[in-house]
Amino acid sequence: MTTSLEAQQTMQDGQWGVDYALDPGQTHYHELCHTRVWVTLLEQEWQIRYQRMPEADDQERWLQRITGTLPDADMDVQRFVRPDRGCQLHYLPAMSSLATVIRPYQPLTLPANSECTIYVGTLLWMRIQAGSKGTHLMELPLADSSLTWVGRTTMEGELCYSAATFARLVLDAVPKRPWRAITPVRIINERQEPLLLERFNLPTPLLSLHRNEKGHLWTPGVTVICETDMNSARLRVDQNPVAAAGRCELVSPAREQTARGGLVRAYDRIFG
Amino acid sequence: MIEQFESSLMQFFGAIAWGKWLSTLFLLILGIVLASVAGRSVSRFMEDRASRHHTVMVRRLVFYLILAIFFFAALREAGFSLDVVLGAAGILTVAIGFASQTSASNMISGLFLLVEKPFEIGNFIEVEGTIGEVVAIDMLSVKLRTPDNLYVRIPNETLIKTRVVNRSRFPIRRMDLTVGIAYAEDVERVENLLLDLARKNSASLEEPKAFVLVTGFGPSSVDLQFSFWVPGDKVLEGRSQMMVAIKKALDEEGVEIPFPHTSIYAGSHSEPFRVELLRPQTATDKGDPDADQNG
Repeated sequence: MTTSLEAQQTMQDGQWGVDYALDPGQTHYHELCHTRVWVTLLEQEWQIRYQRMPEADDQERWLQRITGTLPDADMDVQRFVRPDRGCQLHYLPAMSSLATVIRPYQPLTLPANSECTIYVGTLLWMRIQAGSKGTHLMELPLADSSLTWVGRTTMEGELCYSAATFARLVLDAVPKRPWRAITPVRIINERQEPLLLERFNLPTPLLSLHRNEKGHLWTPGVTVICETDMNSARLRVDQNPVAAAGRCELVSPAREQTARGGLVRAYDRIFG
Repeated sequence: MIEQFESSLMQFFGAIAWGKWLSTLFLLILGIVLASVAGRSVSRFMEDRASRHHTVMVRRLVFYLILAIFFFAALREAGFSLDVVLGAAGILTVAIGFASQTSASNMISGLFLLVEKPFEIGNFIEVEGTIGEVVAIDMLSVKLRTPDNLYVRIPNETLIKTRVVNRSRFPIRRMDLTVGIAYAEDVERVENLLLDLARKNSASLEEPKAFVLVTGFGPSSVDLQFSFWVPGDKVLEGRSQMMVAIKKALDEEGVEIPFPHTSIYAGSHSEPFRVELLRPQTATDKGDPDADQNG
């Protein structure tokens, strides 16, 4: 199923927030992350198909091209009546709808009375908008994330997505992918004991998405202050991306607004 | 004679205070209209802000409260003294209570259900073998819609007396599957295989962790309990997907899933069974007929 090397060479890099124009009968084909997406414009409707690629086929680039051939009819299709006569297509990134539990491959220990910043890459969702007014058609996760439960007991808590991370401490080591947003997480351990970071609950629906001059996506920084108990840390979401991101423009606002503009708030079960 | 009757009729109708009764009727109708409007407005206001259960409860409360106020106002307008009415109502309640014990019991049970709140509208519950979604909690009964789309009415008294299982109270559920494998198989290998399936399955949660237990040495298999957690809305598909995946994985790995075999033992004192190999017969020969050709 993987696109041949020759075909890949004819494909170009895709971009978020850019208008693509299609003629009726044409299909916009994408390969990114673990997903292939086909968006087809017909006289009266838009059609969207998507398919997961095998894990081994992970791409580093977002490849896209506009073709005149219709996609395979066997695939599941979602049809949308054209909201207007506009032929424009627009793709926006979005953070996941549920909070994400970040689990470092190797647990990281933060000594007493110290702090660190880890860079976490989280998987994005693709929002497809069409027509001259950019009407929202649908959004899809770019890979199947597994779900996990975060809570004191199985009676109370919340469902979250789960993602493994290398918990990198150096920004340059973080791989930059068009379908991943970088979140700098500053963890301050004010306790007299070391803090073992085995997992961390990142409130992704509260994070907005920004694009820097290199085209990388960043979210505002998150600060976690652990004073006494690991289960009652405080969390603060910054208003803007950190200085290391460079000059950024807002691409997608956060799904949910933080209370009082992202100020400090108590956040239960931050560390799982 | 007729004239006399006519005059007494006129006297009778003339004596009735029509204005009073009309205003009483008006108050009652106004009460019903206002209660309905207020109930509907409250329901619309709460629709996006509260659960369906609370919306229905508050709507009903508002409706009956406004209706009661207008009812008493109407009675007063008609000239009844409230004290007398309440006294009469008390006596009436006792009388009705004796006459309709079941209904009264259901009504009181309904009140307890409202206070205890073992389930809400929209929950999936199981009562005396009936599983269904709660569609209404009323004064006398609770209505369920079963998965095969039947409407089931369960009296409130039954719900108070018997065991009720609420299947959607907690957001996640544990699925326990029993997997039997042949005695010749490596149990640890199968255990790892099952845990790997739980990791790959999108419905299975990462935490709480899936686990495998050996529950017993069955008559023809080693019985394993494979437990994994799924979100409450993916119970059926999660279980089915996992069972299909288990069958496929065990088949691919060549792990035998035994099924009951029957061995016939004739005992040491009896003659052994005579086993004879026969040549394969032609496809058209289906064995001896029950009757001969002559019938």
